This record gives sequence, C-alpha cells and structure tokens, in this order.
Amino acid sequence: MANSLFEEKLNSDGFLVTTEIGPPKGADVSEMVHHIDLLKDKVDAINVTDHQSSVMRFPSLGGCLLVKERGGEPIIQITCRDRNRLALQADLLLAYSRDIKNVLCLTGDSVDVGDHKEAKPVFDLDSVQLLKTAREMESGKDMAGNELKGVPQFCLGASVHPEADFIEPQLVKFEKKVIAGAQFFQTQGIFDLENLRRFMQYASQFNVKILAGIIVLASARMARYMNDNVPGIIVSQAIIDELANVEKGKGLQKGIEIASRFIKTIREENLCHGVHIMAVGNEGIVPDILEAA
Amino acid sequence: MIVAEQKPMEEIRRVIAPYERVLLLGCGTCMTVCGAGGEREVSFLNSALRVAQAKSSDGIHNFSEYTVKRQCDFEFLDSLADKVNEVDAILSLGCGIGVQVVAERFPDIPVLPGVNTSFMGMAKEWGVWDERCAACGDCRLAETAGICPITRCTKGILNGPCAGTKNGKCEANKDMDCAWILIYKRLERLQQLDKMRRYYPPRNFRVIPRPRRIVMKADVEPGEDNG
Amino acid sequence: MDNYQASRMREASYGHSLIPPCQVACPLHMEIGEYVDLVAQGKVLEALQVIRDGNPFPSICAYVCTHPCEDACRRSQVDKPIAIRALKRFAVEFGGDRMIQLEAETTQSEKVAVVGSGPAGLACAYYLRKLGYPVTIFEAYSELGGMLRVGIPQYRLPREVVDTEVQRLIHMGVEIKANTRVISLDLLFDIGYKAVFITVGAHQSLRMGIEGEESPGVIDGATFLREVNLGLKPSLGEEVAVVGGGNVAMDAARAAVRLGASKVSILYRRSRAEMPAGPDEIEQALEEGVETMFLMAPTKMKRENGRLGVTCTRMELGEPDAGGRRRPVPIEDSEFNMEFDTLITAIGQAPQISEDFRLRIGKGSTIQVDPVTLTTNRAGVFAGGDAVTGPATVTQALASGRQAAFRIDDYLRHRYPLVDKEAEETLSGELSPETIEMIRKTERLEPPILPPEARAKEFKAVELIYNWEAAVDEARRCLRCGMGAEILFQDKCATCLTCLRVCPYHVPYLDEGGTIQIPADQCQACGICVAECPARAIVLRKPYDRRHIDEELEHALKSAAESKSKPLIIGFCCQYGLFGTGALASLWRGGKAGIWIVPVLCVAKLEGEHILRAFEMGAEGVFIAGCGEQCSRENTAFWVLQRVERIRRALSQIGLEPERLQTFNLRAAEGDTAEALDNFTGQIGRLCLASVIKQEVKS
Repeated sequence: MANSLFEEKLNSDGFLVTTEIGPPKGADVSEMVHHIDLLKDKVDAINVTDHQSSVMRFPSLGGCLLVKERGGEPIIQITCRDRNRLALQADLLLAYSRDIKNVLCLTGDSVDVGDHKEAKPVFDLDSVQLLKTAREMESGKDMAGNELKGVPQFCLGASVHPEADFIEPQLVKFEKKVIAGAQFFQTQGIFDLENLRRFMQYASQFNVKILAGIIVLASARMARYMNDNVPGIIVSQAIIDELANVEKGKGLQKGIEIASRFIKTIREENLCHGVHIMAVGNEGIVPDILEAA
Repeated sequence: MIVAEQKPMEEIRRVIAPYERVLLLGCGTCMTVCGAGGEREVSFLNSALRVAQAKSSDGIHNFSEYTVKRQCDFEFLDSLADKVNEVDAILSLGCGIGVQVVAERFPDIPVLPGVNTSFMGMAKEWGVWDERCAACGDCRLAETAGICPITRCTKGILNGPCAGTKNGKCEANKDMDCAWILIYKRLERLQQLDKMRRYYPPRNFRVIPRPRRIVMKADVEPGEDNG
Repeated sequence: MDNYQASRMREASYGHSLIPPCQVACPLHMEIGEYVDLVAQGKVLEALQVIRDGNPFPSICAYVCTHPCEDACRRSQVDKPIAIRALKRFAVEFGGDRMIQLEAETTQSEKVAVVGSGPAGLACAYYLRKLGYPVTIFEAYSELGGMLRVGIPQYRLPREVVDTEVQRLIHMGVEIKANTRVISLDLLFDIGYKAVFITVGAHQSLRMGIEGEESPGVIDGATFLREVNLGLKPSLGEEVAVVGGGNVAMDAARAAVRLGASKVSILYRRSRAEMPAGPDEIEQALEEGVETMFLMAPTKMKRENGRLGVTCTRMELGEPDAGGRRRPVPIEDSEFNMEFDTLITAIGQAPQISEDFRLRIGKGSTIQVDPVTLTTNRAGVFAGGDAVTGPATVTQALASGRQAAFRIDDYLRHRYPLVDKEAEETLSGELSPETIEMIRKTERLEPPILPPEARAKEFKAVELIYNWEAAVDEARRCLRCGMGAEILFQDKCATCLTCLRVCPYHVPYLDEGGTIQIPADQCQACGICVAECPARAIVLRKPYDRRHIDEELEHALKSAAESKSKPLIIGFCCQYGLFGTGALASLWRGGKAGIWIVPVLCVAKLEGEHILRAFEMGAEGVFIAGCGEQCSRENTAFWVLQRVERIRRALSQIGLEPERLQTFNLRAAEGDTAEALDNFTGQIGRLCLASVIKQEVKS
C-alpha cells in the first residue's frame, strides 16, 4: 500500500514529472503560493528546497505545508547541514504528522557557498545515514533505540550525480543510498543525454525510479556561472554554445526550448522513469516547458 | 604538530594597550615549526611593535622577549619566574595550550594570546600548512585508506563524496582536494574498495565530551605488592 | 687598520670557520678565503692587510707563486678554480703594497745571522725583525734575493719588486752584508751571533753525466739564468736546445727566445703530461715559439765545426716510479743526431754546502734538519729553503723562512717549540654531484697578458693586472668553503626542516637519528637558512658575517642621527654588488641628502628585524638593493622578496604605507637605478608631507 499519492505513481509505470520551488527569503509567501497554484495540477509532485545553496530562506517544511494547503503533492527536501540528529528526526515526525510523507534526503551544500559563511556546519548525519534513520523510524524506534509513540511511514528519495566528472565514487554512494532505502532518485541537472543513457544502463539493475534533473538555463552567462559556482552542476559546452548563439533577450526562450527537447527525448526514448524540472527562480515557466514537451 | 598564525597587529596592540611592561613569550616547539611564535617571530613582533610605537609616538610599552622550549608544561616555565616579576603582562605566542599553561603557572599576571591556534597539521611545503587531524577521538583511518574524511572533507561525511566534487576538488574551496576522491583512488589502488561500499553509521560524538583527558598511568598503590 | 685586525683576531678565537682546502694547500697557510672575499667586497686595502698578515712578501708571490691553492680549489669541481694568485696580484697592486713602510723596534739583544738572501732568508729576517731581534743577512753575491734575483727571469718577476722588498727590510733595520761569503759558522758565533739560519739555496746544476757535457756550447740552466739575470747577454747562436721539463727549463727556453735565438727546442725524456713545469709556463713558452721534442734524451755531445752535434735516443714510458710519474725507458737502436748552436741543461739543481759548516748532509746534498724545528746537528744553527728541501717553490721557501724565525725565537727565548697549532678543523670532502648541479657555472676570468709578439723580444712582465670589475667578479666566484652555516644552538633547533626546505643547494638533511645536519663541505654560505630559521638556531660559521649587518646598521643610524637631514632613508645594499659594478657611483649620484647606505654581504642575509629596526629608529623609507640575477648565489631575490612582502604586511597593519619599503636590482639591465632611487626619494618625501598634514588636521 502506498503512503502517498506520489508513491502510488512511483509504483505505476507512468512517466513521472516533478518540479521544485525555492521558498522566499522573507515571510511573504504570496509568490510561492502563486507558483504552487500554477504547478500543482501539472506535475506529480513539487519539491520544496531546504536553504538551497546554503542561502537562508523560508523553510522547506513550511513550503510543503503550503503545497499541502493548496492541494498539491509535496516532496520535502531535508539536508543534514543545519540540524543534528535530534532535530532531523523531529522534523521527520512533524512532516509525517502533517501528511508530508515524500522525503528527499540530502547531505546539503557546504556552508561556504551560501550567504551565512560563518555558520557552524552541522553534518551530524550524511544523506545515507539520514535515509537509514528514516527507515529505522518506520520500524518504531528512534536512532537511540527508543520506542516511538506513533510510527511514521515515508516515501524516500535521494539525489545522484550522473554527470560527475569522476563517476565511480558517486555510484558507490548511489548503491549505498539504494540499500539504505531510497525508492526514487532525482538526479542533478543533466546536460548531456549520453551521460544519462550510460547511467541508466547501470542503474536499471536496481529497483528504484530515476527522475532526470532538468535545469532551465536563461543564458550562456548563467550556465558558465553555475559551472563555476553551483555545486554539482556541469553544463556541457554544446549547451553553452547553443545558448550563446541566440539574440539578446531570447536566452530564456532558448533554455525552455532545450529543456523541452530533453524532456521529449527522455520520454520518447524511455531513457528513465521521469523528469525533475528545476527552473531556478523561473518557476512560472514550468507549464510552458511541459506544454512544449 | 599544532599550527597557528600570528594575530593581526591591531588586535595585539589592542590587548596589550593597558600594560606598560610586556613580555613577548615564544614557544620553541610547534609554534617555532609553524612559524607563528618561535624565537624569530617573537623578535620580529618585538621589532614591529617598537616600530608601531615609534611611529605613533604614543607608546608607553617596554617590551622584552624570551622563548622557552615548550610552553605546555610547567617545568619549562620555571626559568621565567624572575622575568615575570618584572612585567605587567605576558603576550604568549604559544598555542592555546601554552597560553593556558602559562596562565595557570603564573596566576597573578595577565597572559594574553598572540596567535590564533588553528589546527593540527603538516607543512605541505615551505610556508604552507595543511590540516590533517581533527582529534575526533575515534580514528577511522583504517577504513579510509589513511585519509581522514572528518578533517579533510569540509562536511566530514562518512559514506562517500557529496555531489559537489568537481575536478577532484571540493565545492567549498576549489584549491582543496576532495577527500573522498582521494580516498576512493587510494582504496582502489590498495584493492580495498569494499571498505567504501560498507555503510558507516553516524559518528559517536560522545567520545569527545569537552574537556577531554587521557589517563595512561594505571591506578595502583605504590608500596604494596607492586613495589 | 689596527682595530680591524684586533677585532678579527678576537673573533677568530670563537669562530667556527673551517680551514678551506686552499689555505691548507698554501705553504704559508694564508687566509685566502678571507682576502678573496674582501676583494669581492671591493675592500682592497683590507684584503691587502689580510695578505700581508700571512705573507711577508706578497708582491713577490703575486708574480711567481705556483699557487697550489688553485690546484686545491673546490671550485674546479664545478668549473674552474678561482684565479687566486691573480687576485692577490690585484690586491697588491691596487692596495699599494709597495707604498707600505714597515717599522720594527729592537726589543731583543740576541743577534741572529741569516746566511743567504733568497726568499727563505729574507722571510726569516723579516719575521725576526718583527719579533725584535737584530738581524744580519750575509749574501755572497753583490745583490740580494738569491733565486729571486738570479734564478727567475725578469719577465716573470720584475727586479723592482725584489728591490722594494729589500729596501723595506733595510728600513726595518735588517743589516745587509752583500758580497760576503760565510766560510765558517764558528766565526759567526765568535763575533756575537746567538743563532744562525742557513739558507744558501740549491744553485748547483745537476750533470747529465754523458760524454761531451764539458764541450763549449753546453751550459747549465742555473748558470745561464744567473748570467741573464745579472744583465749579461750570453751569446747563444741561432738554434738552442734546452734539456729538461721543469720551470728552470721553461725559464731558460723563454730567456733564450728573448735573447734572440731563432729556434729554441725543449728536449724532454717524458711526454707533456709528465712535465713538472707549471701549465701556464709551458703554455706561454709555446706561445712564444718554443718547440718541444718529447720522449728523447741526449746520450752524447760533440763540438764540431762551430756547431754542437747531439746524439739522442728515443724513449718510451714504462712503469710509474715512486712519485707516480711513468719512468722513461730508452728504445733500443733508436739513436739519431741533431745539431744546435747551444745546449742548456736544466735537469735539476742541488745545494752546495761548505764542509767547513760541519753540517750533516743528507739525500741530494741537502742539509739534514728536524722538519718541525728546522734545527741542524749544530746547536743554534737552523737551516731551511732549497738548501734543505732541494729545488722548491718561492712560497715554500717563504714558509720555511717564517718557520725558522719562530723556531729561532723559541730557541733564543728558551721556550719549548710552539708548533703551529693545528687545532682548527680543516674542511675536507668533495662537493656532492647534487650540490655541483645547483651551483651556477661562471667562467674564470683570467688577467690580461701581453700578446706573445710583444713579449718575445724583451723581459717585461708578461702578466697584466685585472681591472676592478673583473677582479670583483672573479673573487665572487669563491664558494666560501668552510664559512657556511652551522646549527650553533642544537637545543633551540625544533627540527622544523625550514633549512632543508629553503636551501637552494639541498645541503641540509635529516640524519637517521632525526637530527638536521648541515654538512660544512657542501654549504655555499648563502645565508638563506640563517635568516629563515624560525628558532634562530643557525649561524654562519664566520663571526664577522654574523655581526656585520647589525654593526653597519647601527653605524649608519648613528651617523644619520647626527646629521639630522630629512627624510631619513636607509638603503641596504649588497656590498659585493656595490663595488663590483658602477652601481655604487650611480647610487651615490642619485643619493640625495638623507640617504644612508648600509652595506650587507648579500641581501639574502638581511633579516626582517634589520629592516624594522631602521623604521623604528626613524627611517621614513627603506630600500634594499641586491644584485638580482647577477648574484653569485641562488634564489636570493626570491627570499628577499618573501621577507619584503612579510614586512610590508606588518607595516600596513601598523598604519605605515607599504611603499615605504622598496627593492632595487643593482644590476638590472633595464632602467636606471639612480632614477628609480630618485623616484623613491620623491615618493617618501610626499608620504612624509601627507602624514604631517594628517597630523595637523587631527590636532
């Protein structure tokens, strides 16, 4: 029996589409609500990021509650950067109690890349340990082995980086995540489908769903900036060139075109089980992409 | 070895400001090796402080300098006893341990830190020091091919690299090697990759309740059976 | 000068310098490293003083020394040895050695007789006078100098040089009795001499012992050279043969060329490699047209029709003899005939000692002496020089004379002979290939010499003198053996490995016990580790180098304080670079009032504290002028810049503009140092003004 709507879809053979929303820096959530309303019926689930790039924002859990409120299906992203094991377990309990059962377990970006560089990096657990912790809680015990009153159930996901320039250690970790209990993976941004193809050839032996990460780029400059500054992103030269060759002001349009093309190809060639669209600040265009795809 | 760096002059001048006679106290061990507070640095600092005083022409300080072999044991400090009577404060260029041992040995005199104690590490080359040990109290180097992920991975994670690694470097600092890439390569070379595939549970932070103490001497009574 | 010497003597007592191989090889054990270094610093007067401390007649040695020091010089393991003799000649000439007047007081009553006025006799008289003894030199010939006068040709040693030394001795109060042959030692004692030094030389040519040796047209080398040197012009005819391969043979051949012989041939029974003559002498003889005929020896001579018929046999080289040279063996039935006008024999010389002296005579007709005390079988009679050793070098003779003077002093003062103390350690060992690899190769600069065509017709000195820059450059090639770094304070050493990491020559190493060793025989004395050692455990072995910068800086600061000119700028300049180049002049030209130069023995030895000290004492600006790429040591610029950056950081933290500290390259190919210095002075002036205005605005 499925724990959530999204888990139910995971268990079916349909092509999955998720997207993500970055919460605002501040207490005004109106734009986020607008985006939720725009997207909730067009995708299978909406991720809410957890201080993405270590920049302090409105919390993921709060965003997920809003998604829930607006009738959408949330995936809560939980990173290990800011909370120790007590806080992580507590947040998992809170999420479950509010019917937020889809959890993407992440290690989290380094504090150094964010806007609070002097903060203490916690990393009491890593992503693998977090997955395992969540699974252990499902068996009715917390990490210390104490009984839980009211036992949670989750649909657990994790991330993987098929485009890493040194892939082997990433695959070792991927397997550990599978063993620890990840049911689905949302990959880091894919910019070369060959990489995805190769990765899927390897990953297909595991009983997990892979959603290819699609990042919508707005310009060649943005692509280069992300290459240099955003962890886990390697935009291929072919894509940068394609973006660089368009007229000024038409970059985002080109980015949408590229994203749609990727999604279309993935779906038509059945490369993996779905896509996860990251519009990075342009959440409003996701419907256009889906339309085009 | 303990590695430190000298505090900025402004800070040093600020902390010594209330005191007329200041003893600059060097340490002949780690602080000498890491170039933060050996005899030469003490002398350099003395010269620099005197220049500052001469140029600002508002100086009242009278500096003296001395370097002991090690500040972190009382016995090395005995030779200081006379000098301490003649100064109003000690600016210790010892590590944080040295400063505290000097303070404990001479309870009646202010002891001020002249360096920021930074880490335990090694000299990568002349003038470049790298951290190597976090003193976590639970060494797991046997599993990680002699490369410490707790110290050398910016996140200190135990089950493999995060996705931020690029060109073998860390997402936090492009000049810093990704510890997990190093570990993977070395394990592969040693044909021990199974060690990386193993799951490592969360760290036990209980092994480092602060402050720590290690007792090597056995709890035995002299004069009985054991002579 | 006196103070300088006194302080040097004091320092020597606790210095740890090791005696370098050149000094060990020198018969006089002169402080060669020291004076070569002083020449490199441009301190010619001081160099001459060091030379004079170790050598009674440096002008003579500057011309004729066979420089065993250069054979021992470790620079030859890298490229070519230092041209030590030529540098001495430079110091002697530029330092004005011949102008120096010496005085000596008579403080002792015992008279000493010196029999023979060759180099050993003159040296003995010189030192005995300095020790306060009344001394008389007895010389059989009319002029003093022995072999210096009658053996060595003028083109190698001008007569004025010998005359100057003799005059100096007379001025010191040495009594000279020329044209006086001593026939009885007893007589000398009878007339009141308490000790006698016999140094009559080895003037008797050895005979070949072949048929016809007495023929007219055959003359021995010693006699021939004596005649030439006393101004006679023996007639030689057109074709001259010289038999022998030593320096006397070369001198004879070259003298013959100068006397007008059209063809001069050297006949030698071995090959060129075995010739005992100095390589320079051989080379110069060949340049002057002297021919060589190797592996042949005359066996018979006969005077016929006004010509000399010489029968020779060909030789081949057999087994090495006791001295290691391969013994010539006659080839059977290889005889052939040649004709010459004159044949000069120069196959060796021996002393000729009057039997009336009643001295024990040993091998090769030499006087037998105790090698340490130079005492003979007769009480109060000492002997030295060629008369004891057989033909040897001038420098060996000088050493022998000096030794005799000290032993005679011991004897007359009833002292146990104080033998030269060998307590000081010598530097031995080859440079390792790794060290050699790192030492920059620089060409040996030879002093100019007269072209062969100019010298073949007259007896003028062949070798000329270095110019100033060439001398300094050549002197800077010295590896400073034995003056390098040592870990003086082992208890301070934290084994931090800084020295090992900063040494450009990879000299320091960790031994098996985990202790840092700086092998003295590899250290190039660049001083980088000394300035970098965080424990200050390392010092240079030479005490003078240790204190040099401190003293010079304090001196400059004191002078500056007295002069009160503003703004005060201190310039630390490489002493070597300053004097080796025209840069000094250019710095002074640019150096306006207020600039004080502190000479340092290579800027690599400059420590941060020195620079900060200058600021503390009121300097508004400090500059460092080094030699850049021209420095004879490696990486100095790199380390100076490291320290400069460090101090600039400290300055800016104190609130001083980092531009107050500048570096200049003394020998920069591009740009004018004087102009750069002008700009710097201007900039410091503006900074001062700005800070004054700031102060006033504040108040």
